[in-house]
Amino acid sequence: MIAIETKGLSKSFGGRPACTGISFEVARGEVFGLLGPNGAGKTTTLRMLAGLYAPDSGTARVAGVDIGPGKPGGPDLRRKVGLLTEQPGFYDRLTARENLIFFGKLYGAADAPGRATKLLNRFALRSHADRPFAELSRGMKQKLAIARALLHEPEVIFLDEPTVGLDPEATREVRSVIAELAAERATIVLCTHHLDEVERLCSRAAFIAGRLLAVHEMSRKELLKVELAQPFSPPAAMEALCKSIELRGNSLFIDPLAEVPDIVAALAAAGARIVSVSPHRDRLEEAWLQLSQEARKQGLTA
Amino acid sequence: MTLLIVRKELLELRRSPALLLSMISLPATVVLVPLLLLWWLLRHAPDQALAFVQEFYGVKAGATVAGVASVLARNWLPMFLVLPVFLPILIAAQSIGGERERRTLEPLLATPVSTISIILGKSIAALIPALIITWSAAVLFCLGIDLIIGAPLLPDSSWLFGTLLLAPLLALFGNGAAVCVSARVLDPRAAQNLAATTVLPLLGLLVMQLAGRIALGPPFYFSLALGVALLDVALIAFAVRTFDRERLLTNWR
Repeated sequence: MIAIETKGLSKSFGGRPACTGISFEVARGEVFGLLGPNGAGKTTTLRMLAGLYAPDSGTARVAGVDIGPGKPGGPDLRRKVGLLTEQPGFYDRLTARENLIFFGKLYGAADAPGRATKLLNRFALRSHADRPFAELSRGMKQKLAIARALLHEPEVIFLDEPTVGLDPEATREVRSVIAELAAERATIVLCTHHLDEVERLCSRAAFIAGRLLAVHEMSRKELLKVELAQPFSPPAAMEALCKSIELRGNSLFIDPLAEVPDIVAALAAAGARIVSVSPHRDRLEEAWLQLSQEARKQGLTA
Repeated sequence: MTLLIVRKELLELRRSPALLLSMISLPATVVLVPLLLLWWLLRHAPDQALAFVQEFYGVKAGATVAGVASVLARNWLPMFLVLPVFLPILIAAQSIGGERERRTLEPLLATPVSTISIILGKSIAALIPALIITWSAAVLFCLGIDLIIGAPLLPDSSWLFGTLLLAPLLALFGNGAAVCVSARVLDPRAAQNLAATTVLPLLGLLVMQLAGRIALGPPFYFSLALGVALLDVALIAFAVRTFDRERLLTNWR
């Protein structure tokens, strides 16, 4: 089941394009990343999908609601999606609970006070529920903002830079909350420029730099990286020990079938001069750097 | 939804002692200063001072003390028309610009609530305290005048018309101007200053009347009510036409 489908979404402000031709699909229950440098059009894309902006061209269907030029989705769409904005954005003089109840009622949540209490408990904010929002720590504020995005049990959750400006402890807390939501099979679009966040939480990610550069599938497969003193062609006998073996520079990347000591012993017996052996996962960073260079060459980013 | 926003705004106001104090300080001055002045004039001022006032405002020779007080009280009415314009500005200037500054605008607009409900809720929440304070100040002023004179002088027809009909229309105008300006500028203080310029014509009238250059009467107040009502309709039409989510999030200077 597709939760989000966008086709050629474009938006400009004062004649300056913010994003052009954005097309991707997000399946129900998927955590999808939107990656890109500052000013790449991630937030604009998110705002279009959350019903705040109408696209100039292109169409989208989010949680069954159609979006198009001059048609930003409206209350129907906003009722079905939850949006975590880049800044928490609560009223300083209202308590955490009062803030949640206010937004819960605006979203039309059934039993907003009960739902607020449940979410405050879930995010370990119960003991701070009756403190004014201004007195909460940055991490608590961000957790409260995530709670707000869940108040009305939305079909799709948009998270815009959920860990920006947080200290390491708060970052870890917020990431664990997102991981919990992902484990519950919530449909999440995570907008960020932290590669490790996307790598850890998302199944796929779209690279955006004014336009969509690529959609990257995260690799969960762990390889064995054997660093060699000099390039070495593995003998045919190694095929019995590995699903695949690839030489990149001075390193062999092996998808192992046999135990690591057996592979290392076979390589050494074949004459390979091994410097180190370590686990390796194909990193998003490599794909990101490659795409960033391409984008720079095309003049899409500075 | 509108009532929900009104309740939230009033709750925030209740918890903002500085804003409440700033809202009360001007009406307190508007009530106390003329009452003290009149009390001094009638009880302790030399006869020449009273004669000067009679001559300055064209009070008939030999008129009673109540006659002088009546002229002074009538001349002070425009100040009670400044209050309903100025007071909602203090709150309404924070409405959109304040939400933007506190970064609450985007989360608010991300909810299914309509933009009209937001504007209406914020406007009602600005008008309620402004009118309560204006009417309370007017009641205290009238009672004070009557106590000093020792006779039921106020409210007369102009005062009743001014405070009961004209004040709400002017409050609507002050609020509308503040909300419209607030939607276009980033800084709520700039919105407050810009919107506050709308009280200048009324202050001008007050000064001219106190200087004895003009004498505003019922025909003027009736025309003013008509003009302000038309302006209110124009402001509401403008707000309805221009306030959409995208514009509020992106269109500010």
